[in-house]
Parts: sequence; structure tokens; C-alpha cells
Amino acid sequence: MKYLFAISTVAIAAAGAVTAQDQVVNIYNWSDYIADDTIEKFQEQTGITVVYDVYDSNEVLEAKMLTGSSGYDVVVPTGSFLQRQIGAGAYQPLDRAALPNLVNMDPDLMAAAAAYDAENEHATIYMWGTTGIGYNIGAVAERLGEDYEVDSWALIFDPEIAAKLADCGITMLDAPTEMLPAAMNYLGLDPQSIEPADLEAGAELLTQVRPHIRYYNSSQYINDLANGDICVSVGWSGDVFQAQARASEVDAGVEIGYVIPNEGALQWFDMLAIPVDAPNADNAHQFINFIMDAQITADITNYVWYANANLASMPLVDEEITSDPGIFPTEAAKENLWSSPVYNARTDRLITRLWTTVKTGQ
Amino acid sequence: MKNRSIFLPVVTGLGFLFLYAPIASLIVFSFNESKLVTVWGGFSTKWYGELLRDPQILGAAWISLKIAFLSATLAIIIGTVAAFALSRFPKFRTKSLLNWMITAPLVMPDVIIGLSLLLMFVAMQGLIGWPAGRGMTTIIIAHATFGAAYAAVVIQSRLVDMDMSIEEVALDLGAKPMRVFFDITLPVIAPALVSGWLLAFTLSLDDLVIASFVSGPGSSTLPMVIFSKVRLGVSPDVNALATIIILIISVGIIAAAIQISRSGKKLGN
Repeated sequence: MKYLFAISTVAIAAAGAVTAQDQVVNIYNWSDYIADDTIEKFQEQTGITVVYDVYDSNEVLEAKMLTGSSGYDVVVPTGSFLQRQIGAGAYQPLDRAALPNLVNMDPDLMAAAAAYDAENEHATIYMWGTTGIGYNIGAVAERLGEDYEVDSWALIFDPEIAAKLADCGITMLDAPTEMLPAAMNYLGLDPQSIEPADLEAGAELLTQVRPHIRYYNSSQYINDLANGDICVSVGWSGDVFQAQARASEVDAGVEIGYVIPNEGALQWFDMLAIPVDAPNADNAHQFINFIMDAQITADITNYVWYANANLASMPLVDEEITSDPGIFPTEAAKENLWSSPVYNARTDRLITRLWTTVKTGQ
Repeated sequence: MKNRSIFLPVVTGLGFLFLYAPIASLIVFSFNESKLVTVWGGFSTKWYGELLRDPQILGAAWISLKIAFLSATLAIIIGTVAAFALSRFPKFRTKSLLNWMITAPLVMPDVIIGLSLLLMFVAMQGLIGWPAGRGMTTIIIAHATFGAAYAAVVIQSRLVDMDMSIEEVALDLGAKPMRVFFDITLPVIAPALVSGWLLAFTLSLDDLVIASFVSGPGSSTLPMVIFSKVRLGVSPDVNALATIIILIISVGIIAAAIQISRSGKKLGN
């Protein structure tokens, strides 16, 4: 027993000492969201050891950020979450002098991302995407006719069309700040509106189509789409592409399409940021600068199939990806993209209440 | 009586089916060729090969095993001391309160344990600078905390059942109390120590909630990594890893069972 105690004391001390090395950078990123050689290349080039952890929801990250002293040096929150965490003082301003590769970034997209982070003071864009419609091409054609062109929110928000698709399964994200603006957009209202009347109109429409919705979930649809268990999902672009890739890998006759509706779609940004108490802020800057390298960003996009905001990397991205309007929208489609507005606490409560009403139907 | 003879085996069979069907399907699907969990694409061992090339999952599994081993050991030490105090010392005034308190972590929701430990670690870091940041150390401490509660309950029940007279005989023959503890008491309660250790080990390996609260950079446990992958659907190499773990645990439990039954015979119980 004495020996066991001695052994465990030593081992615990040793476990604590591992983190006390000098040249380290602790990265906390979404799972499956980086090329498989990025970390290796960074370690080779700089000699800094990368400790790489992953999470699967903004909420998990937010809990760590708001508690403080998480130990992480670089994290990747989505725009609206970043904004709230900046408000709570969770991030330090970026040192622009340490980030020469900032010149590679697309000024238009950076300006759009500034909606979440004024003047891009705290963060730069990692990847971005849209919230559109993923659908089973064969199953939809079977029910709506070969000629029906999927290019509008009507596929989900027109009760008549939705009724025809209900038997094979329509799903929505369990995210009111994505679904309400989409419904408002379909109604011709400003999707960024925070007027209670507009939000209520959106909720009204969502309630109307509710009988045709199979479930509200933000992750289950990836596999279900790929398996052919559902046929239409409001989903995040990259997730739908995952489903697409998986379906073609299995080759069971399921073909998945992704479309940004003509009316418009939400544009979201995953942002690289440095926590205010990051233990290795210098290395964090080096890492972010490294990611913004044209070749590195191109490698990541080629691997994860998400759009980046790096103009210099465009020639290096596979033709197959740059020419896909679902990933890199056409100029015309770009016009109609919107970003999440700033919701104050009162609007937040209203949205939560409306969403509960929609989901429970009461 | 004749009815019962059919009824019992059927119910037993259904009960075991209920317990083991999920595990069996996991093992079967770990040999599935297809990447989709629900589609059978033929027999293949490729996910075992894939698993060996996935440093993230292997690293997390190694971290989880280290944490489980150390925290279970720590839990057994604390649990034995606590159980010994609660079962051997004459009735003291707060004994029943302490008895009740040691079982509290058993019924406390993980979220509350995790959050309170996190707050304590953050406060301690501010006050005395230790533990500096969060990582394996904090997970080990957290797991030992609730593991000790389980271990104490298991060991205490064994201590209460134990025949005190053999300890008294040793004392009468002139053995020092420490000697009695290590030579008499410990061997007698050894089976409880083993099962308590295994229980704490399993609980630690299993825990997701508490570990997510108190983990830091570079200390993602296996459940955390698997959970973060679930969003894109569990990849089949996780099934392969789970199959290997089930195999190891089965061997461990069988070995422990043999050991316990042997030492039980030796002591004449």
C-alpha cells in the first residue's frame, strides 16, 4: 500500500510536469476540421509542440472560455458566440504586427465578419459557410417531379410542398437564431430584423410547417441524409458535404445535393481567437499566422471542404471545390447572404420562447 | 412446478439478451466493411488497422487508462482509510453524519461534482498556484474523489463482516497495530480492495461529464474524444477500440474472480 501511494504521488507529479515545457501551443478546435498534415508542418517549421484538442459544440467551448484559465492558446468559436465571449472579456486583441499573413485575407469577408468583432480586433476568419438546404436528389425528384428545381426555401416553408415531402422526412436545425431568420427571409422580411412582430411572423410560418417536420436536431441529420433515412434538411454546408461524401463512399444509390436558396441564407464564420489568459500568446500568433498562409489554408479547404476567406489561397484550392456554388457561392448568391444580428437579452428571451412554442406546438 | 422450469430459463435468457445484445452488436459491427454504422458491407478487419493509425484515439485511450489506473489507486487508499475509520472506531457523535456524507458523491449528479471541482481548482490556482492549469492531474484528483466514495462503501461492508477476533488474537500475541493491519486486516479485505479498485477504475474510464469540466490542454480522455466525433457519426474504428477494451476488461474480471475465489478458499470462508 505504501508503495502504491509513493508510485501514484510520483506519477501525478510527473503528469503535472508534462505541461510545463517551454515551446508549446495549445489548440482547441472543432473535431475533424483541419488537414491531416497541418499540425505536423507547423511543428516542423517552428519547433513549437502543438497540443491539439477538439470539441463538437460552441457550448462546450463557451463553458471553458467563460470559466477562464482554460489553458488554451487558440480557439475557434463561431461568430455569434465569439461576439458574446468578447463582450465577457474572454479574448485578447490580436497583435497585427505578428500576423503579416493578414494581407492574404479577403477584405469583403473580413468586413462581414466584423459584424461579430468590431474592426476584426480579436479574431480572423478560419473557415466559413452557409446554412442552406441539403436534400436527397432522387427522393425529392420522385415526389416533386424530375423538373422541380430545388432553389428556394419553398421546399421547406411552403406547406403544400412540405406535405409532399413529409413522408420521407424533413429536418430542421435545433437553432432558433438560424431557423427564424430563414423563415423571415422566405416571407420577404429582413432576416436580420429584431422586431418582435417580424420574429413572431417567422415563428408563425415555422409552426404552420411543423406537422411535416420529422425532428429538430443539429447533428443527427448528417448520418440520416447519408443513409437515405431523411430527404430534406436545413443544415450547415460543411455537414451536408460530409453526408454527401459518406453517401458516395457507401455507394448505396443515395445522392445528396446542397443548395443556397435564391432568397438568401445565413453566412457564418468560424474565427481564430486567442483567449485573454492564453499561456503562450506569442506561439498562438505564430500559429494563426501559419494558418493564414496561402498553401496551408488551401490544404485545409481541400481536406475539409469548407470555404476559406484567404484570397491568396484560391488558385491553390481544387477546381472541384472553388467551382461548387454550394461552397463558394456565386457573386449573385453572395448578395443575399446575411450574418446573424446582435440580439439583446430581451430579444434572446423572445426567440427562445417562440422556438419552444414552435417545437412543442403549444 | 413444471411451468416454472420453462419460465425461469426464458426470463434469464431474455435478461442476458437485454444486457449483452448491444455489446454483441458492437463487436459484430467492428468487423463491418462499410463506414456507415447501420449498413452491413461484409466482413473486414480494416478498422483495426485504421485504429492503429489514428494517434488521436490511441493517445486518448492511453491517457484514459493512465488516469483510471492512478485515480483508482488513489481512491482505494483514501477509501480504505475512510472505511476503516467508519467501521472500527467506537461510536462517535458525528459518525452517522460522516457515514452519510461519504455516500453523498454516489447520489450527487456528475454535473454538480464537475462544476464544484472546477470552481475549487480555479480558486486554488488563484490562491496557492496549484494545480497550475488543468490537465491530467486535476482529472485524476476529480476521479479519485468520487471513486473513493464507491471504494469506501465496498470496503466498509467487508470490514463490518470481518471476524474481529483474529485481529484481537494477533494483538494478544504482541503484534503492533500497524503490523496487524498489514498482515491480518489487509489480506482479509483484499477481495473488497480488488473489487473496489475495479469499480473505481471502470467509473473513471467511463466518465465524460466530470472530465470535461476539469480537463485542460492535452488531456482529452477517450470518452471526450469519442463524444466529439459523434457529431459526424461514430467512425467504425471506435467500435474496434471498444471491442478491444471489452476483451481486456473481460480478461481482467475473470482473473479477478478466480483470484477472489481462491483467496476466499484459503481463508476458509
